[in-house]
Amino acid sequence: MAYKKRFAPRRKFCRFCENNETPLDYKHPEILKDFITDRGKIIARRITGTCAKHQRVLTREIKKSRQMALLVYTATHSCEVKKRTI
Amino acid sequence: MLQKYETLVLMSPELGPETRQELLDTMSGIIDRDGGKVLLVDDWGIRGLAYPVKNVMRGYYTRLEYALPGESVAELERNIRIADGIFKFLTVKLADHYEMEVESDGL
Repeated sequence: MAYKKRFAPRRKFCRFCENNETPLDYKHPEILKDFITDRGKIIARRITGTCAKHQRVLTREIKKSRQMALLVYTATHSCEVKKRTI
Repeated sequence: MLQKYETLVLMSPELGPETRQELLDTMSGIIDRDGGKVLLVDDWGIRGLAYPVKNVMRGYYTRLEYALPGESVAELERNIRIADGIFKFLTVKLADHYEMEVESDGL
């Protein structure tokens, strides 16, 4: 008898609750980069598994680091600059 | 009442070290004049930017940690806006209150 296909999702956990010394602020874009898509959009909580408290802090920090040009707003920035700067 | 703040400043890469230092000195001068104290000056150096700012793909980052009464932060930011070498800045409040003598931690 065909067994009932059960989708086995991988256990999702909140990375910031797990080891709470990972710095969650706009000064560390390499950590925030895991939580945005390659187009620069913030990934939803249900996919990354972060808890609500940290997701709220995460969105504020991502928006701050976007403002300080540490993270991209969108993937289609015209990155090539006419004159080559130092 | 002193509160602890931190300001991340993005400066143009073409500025020489002396003009950069001069900008930082004006900022710390304003902080000292308004009864504050600069705690830490953290240079990140020249970094590539995620998107072009004023048609430049690289910028010089400096992070300034300081304690200042709340109402004179706006004054500091007004001077930052006047300075022409600074592209972007972001001020974040760190600790709610900060006592001058607490910071001198006993050995």
